[in-house]
Amino acid sequence: MILKGRVWKLKDNIDTDLIYPGKYLPIIDSKEMAKHALEGLDKNFPQKIQKGDIIVAGKNFGCGSSREQAATSLKHAGISCVVAKSFSRIFFRNAINQGLALVQSEKAYDLVEEGKEIIIDFEKGEIILNDKKIEFAHLPDFIKEILDSGGLIPYIKKKLEQK
Amino acid sequence: MKIPKKEEILKLQEKYKTDKKVAQAIGVPKYLVTYWRRKKKIEKFSLPKYSEEKIKDLWERFGNDKEAGAELSLSASAFYKWRKKYKIIEKPKVLKMAQLELSFAQSSKSGFLTIAQKILAKKLGKSKIEVGEIVEVEPDIVMSHDNTGLVIKQFNQIGISRVWNPGKIIIPLDHRVPAESEKTADIHRQIRLFVKEQKIKNFYDINEGICHQVMVEKAHILPGELALGTDSHTTSYGCIGAISTGIGATEMAGVWALGKIWLKVPESVKIVLKGKLPLGVYAKDVILFVIKNLTSEGASYKSVEFYGEAVSDMSISERFTLCNLSMEMGAKFAIVPFDKATKRFLKKRTKKNYLPVWADQNAVYNEEYEFDITKLTPQISCPHSVDNVKPVEEVKSVKIDQVVLGSCTNGRLDDLEIAARILKGKKVHPDIRMLVLPCSKEVYLEALKKGIIKVFVESDCVVLNPGCGPCLGAHEGILGAKEKCLATTNRNFKGRMGSSDSQIFLASPATAAASAIKGKITDPREFLRKIWKGKIV
Repeated sequence: MILKGRVWKLKDNIDTDLIYPGKYLPIIDSKEMAKHALEGLDKNFPQKIQKGDIIVAGKNFGCGSSREQAATSLKHAGISCVVAKSFSRIFFRNAINQGLALVQSEKAYDLVEEGKEIIIDFEKGEIILNDKKIEFAHLPDFIKEILDSGGLIPYIKKKLEQK
Repeated sequence: MKIPKKEEILKLQEKYKTDKKVAQAIGVPKYLVTYWRRKKKIEKFSLPKYSEEKIKDLWERFGNDKEAGAELSLSASAFYKWRKKYKIIEKPKVLKMAQLELSFAQSSKSGFLTIAQKILAKKLGKSKIEVGEIVEVEPDIVMSHDNTGLVIKQFNQIGISRVWNPGKIIIPLDHRVPAESEKTADIHRQIRLFVKEQKIKNFYDINEGICHQVMVEKAHILPGELALGTDSHTTSYGCIGAISTGIGATEMAGVWALGKIWLKVPESVKIVLKGKLPLGVYAKDVILFVIKNLTSEGASYKSVEFYGEAVSDMSISERFTLCNLSMEMGAKFAIVPFDKATKRFLKKRTKKNYLPVWADQNAVYNEEYEFDITKLTPQISCPHSVDNVKPVEEVKSVKIDQVVLGSCTNGRLDDLEIAARILKGKKVHPDIRMLVLPCSKEVYLEALKKGIIKVFVESDCVVLNPGCGPCLGAHEGILGAKEKCLATTNRNFKGRMGSSDSQIFLASPATAAASAIKGKITDPREFLRKIWKGKIV
């Protein structure tokens, strides 16, 4: 898989209340969730996102609540991948289960610029900037398979059908 | 054909056991193998024999075939056959606790495991386990609250009609109770229909209390078990020596369908709390101080174990606070090892057998921290990050608008009690709104009996129904722009309780009560010293 997108740079400790404020938790429709992605940080953020955009953040991205709407809303708002120095545990799982691609990279944050386009090559494990390449570690195969299936639910369905 | 050597026959026997199977494996008639074996004076292969004493002992220790069998690498049904053979039928009334510890110390000589590692290894039926290994396990119990609506939606997409085990699913409603909107009312209704349809017995409607409190109070989770919950503060159940952690709704739908989850065997962190709690300092102050030192991601992906004199002295409620807030430094699990206090707590609450798990003496911890709390002062977490912790003295006199006493972190009887002691005979400052939410029906009733609720009402607090409400900005006390709130809850992220222009401070119930009286952030010790002197204890 190769992704290409415009960068949004976000700081350290972007918590789940910033990504998806608690008042929207009763929403269970993914498209409606998307309208509130990152609203806690900037009210107009959902409108600014273009399909395929990539978030590049600091450490502990997604800390806080177990609300998976944080991952779901980003994905359905058009974010194709989140690159961060580190992820909170539950957000990491939620993103995979929603089929939202993740890259953990210590270096990327300092090298990328907001608004610029970057390419992420998952086969090679590389983030490609204009003249630079940043390597990142591959995810375990079964996690890749969940992501490739589009999330946990399609993955389970596929596995059950195979049986 | 060449006659195999003695060593070769022994090797074959080790691999294929019986003469018949050895013969099949090397393609000769069985009598030939038997002949060779006799000639070389090799004993016939036989299954290990278990004495009546051994079987009886295991049965009395574990009380169930699966776990007792696992000790001998036997299946549950094989163990049952042995038991039947010796006519050991009656279920043991009390598990041999003293022996348990001993057997564990012996069984894990090889591995040296921490609590989390040992519980996961036990679930896999193995004695060794590697940190970083990905394992697939069946949880002992799973919990989801109001977000069960989303779990149901995802579960229905999988196409399996029945949940894997309705007896292992607990659903308490607590986040928005009673329903604050039409949307929530619809979701609650869907959940009620679903639990009936799926025959989920352990459903707690809006009257029971906060999910984590209910799980521990009703002993749905027991020592040595693994629980999953669709709430980040699921780490709380470590207060009774269990391992438990938060997952998302989709993942829970997967567990409902398959009864399994993948988990990475975590590294462990040991935190030793030395000394005794000084006046005006509580479990909340201690854990805030720990988080300040370790930072908000200091225990990320790790299993935290608490030890030390201060921890041994703590009640289950205080341990709950430690394990609950450990989530705010990223912990995957947070555990206070099982001891007499845990045993006492559970004695009143369950008749079920359980098997506590302790860490090995030589278990490997990736990090160890020691804190002497003898001189600790009341602590407060300042906006907008839980690890932004300062001594209360440093921020005292910051004016506040609202005080919230409650939540899964600090809404139990001891929390309400200390606040009531400070508030008794006084009034909440006229510029302050003080909200009190007992964290469960049980706590509410006890507080009523003890006259605690009366104190709150008389001092102008607003007593609300058990639930999460204001903690996550759901309802019942949303903050407006520019407002400041001091809460005994667990998060102070920007905008969490309402306006993104509001501020949240987190502190102990004593600090909350003292601050409510003064109308500004206040060190509770000035009140406590007076109470102690005046003997209004």
